[in-house]
Amino acid sequence: MTSRARKQLREFRAPDEIGAESRAWDVVRAAYLEREPAVARRRLRWRLAVAPVAAVVIAALALSPAGASVRHLITRALGERHAAPALFSLPSPGRILVSGPGGTWTAAADGSTRRLGPWSQASWSPHGLFVAAASGDRLAAVDPHGTIRWALARPAVSDPRWYSPSGYRVAYLSAGTLRVVAGDGTGDRLLASGVAHVAPSWRPAAADGPYELAYVTTSRRVVVRNGDTGAVVWSTAPGPRPFELMWSDDGRRLLVLSRREARTYAAGGAVISTVALPAAASDGALSPDGRSLALVLGGREVVVGKGGSLRQALAGPGVTAVNWSPDGHWLLVTWPAANQWVFVRVAGAPRIEAVSRISEQFSSGGAGFPQLDGWCCTAQGSAG
Amino acid sequence: MPAVAESLAVTGELGRRRARPPRSEQALIRGALAGSEADVEALFRRFWPRAYRAAFLIVHDHAAAEDIAQEAFVTAIRRLDRFDRQRRFGPWLGAIVANRAIDWARARSARRETADTAADPASPPEIQLGRYSQEVLAALASLSPEHRAVIVLRYLLEYSPGEIARALELPRGTVNSRLRRGLDTLETRLREMER
Repeated sequence: MTSRARKQLREFRAPDEIGAESRAWDVVRAAYLEREPAVARRRLRWRLAVAPVAAVVIAALALSPAGASVRHLITRALGERHAAPALFSLPSPGRILVSGPGGTWTAAADGSTRRLGPWSQASWSPHGLFVAAASGDRLAAVDPHGTIRWALARPAVSDPRWYSPSGYRVAYLSAGTLRVVAGDGTGDRLLASGVAHVAPSWRPAAADGPYELAYVTTSRRVVVRNGDTGAVVWSTAPGPRPFELMWSDDGRRLLVLSRREARTYAAGGAVISTVALPAAASDGALSPDGRSLALVLGGREVVVGKGGSLRQALAGPGVTAVNWSPDGHWLLVTWPAANQWVFVRVAGAPRIEAVSRISEQFSSGGAGFPQLDGWCCTAQGSAG
Repeated sequence: MPAVAESLAVTGELGRRRARPPRSEQALIRGALAGSEADVEALFRRFWPRAYRAAFLIVHDHAAAEDIAQEAFVTAIRRLDRFDRQRRFGPWLGAIVANRAIDWARARSARRETADTAADPASPPEIQLGRYSQEVLAALASLSPEHRAVIVLRYLLEYSPGEIARALELPRGTVNSRLRRGLDTLETRLREMER
């Protein structure tokens, strides 16, 4: 009687067995290579290959005296007395996204703010039409009015990032893994395990891909993987612990930022430059044109690197994060110690605008300074 | 199940050559522990198809099944140095797959995973299965995840009731009764579908 059921079970075939096997092997292989004996072998090979390149390009950069010209402006603009008591407007077009104890908020160019929901992290879709928001065990796509378009439950979700320019994919971290979901919330899948808590970064390409994604493993390798097939495009040897990955807009350079160095890779994985930083970096952002790098150094100053030199843009004990305006003319620096945002113009004549009482303006009962999630958008989004 | 490609390679023209017998599971594990990627791959190719099918038959969601089988392999590979080589690798891996699949199926029933306009990921439209597979799947759907797991471990992965009891941490009697009841239900559903 039961032989037919047994036979059918033995002959059962699941959907897309070959594709699933191929994707899974890439992940399993990567996990195997992460094990210690393999790591030791690969590290040696990598060092041999890269040593001549690294020796040529390592250079320490010095602060230029140009920073002195803005020092008096800083002194005049900052502090409770000179800062605007509220965010009346943004100095540049676009909308700012922040998250904190008060949830996720947007701030428009006219200074109006809107709370999107009780999220703890968020990021803009490429044209600012949606926000990928995360909190606890939940990931969601939310429109600018706060309406949830889709949501997924996954453990310990963080750092969602939309694929640019199309938004057809969203990558995010979940309990030490990297996962990818289609922009409409379907097809959520595991891409890699053993992933460090560093936001992944999509390599900009055509609207329909290839969807290549850079991330950091717990063994401090940077890996670039195809987000659909799971194939590893390239990976590095273990290095200094990165805290930020940033692709240039043309997808030809990947900047890997760790506390003491900024390393640039070509799209194929070759090291282009390794730059030692004069103080410990805690945040960084590439300008929209990819030519300038803003860094928070030593928790006390913001510098802008361009063409091989660093220029001080702002000094203030306790500054934490920096972000570029969509037009690349302004920097927004967060300064929790003063409960302020400081806008610094870096194109044209220097100018500083500070806004105080930031915690109160993005609060819904919870106290605390919000983190900066992004400033969007210049092109089709017409945000602002 | 031995890899299909491996069997084909020794039955056609290649069969005239003296075929090397497939390496034993223990030899592959030894090789993997010594750093042989080829042995890890052989181990993976040998056990993946049934691990994935087992997960799929329990959760009925191919994306989740892929994740579950994949994570089970990653876990197994990371714990390989702690694996008791007196035991069979298959049941060890199968236990990880089955337990994760049961957890996933329970969690899904306890939560609403999608909101608003999102499609139900349990039934994505692109899934294409043969008639045979559809029937098995539909028949299994009438069982709870716990019953499905017992049936799948016994008749797909061909574990003994004792191995199933150890894998799922159940009394042997419970395994036997779930097998009997599950198989009866399955047979009844398959017969109904034929009419």
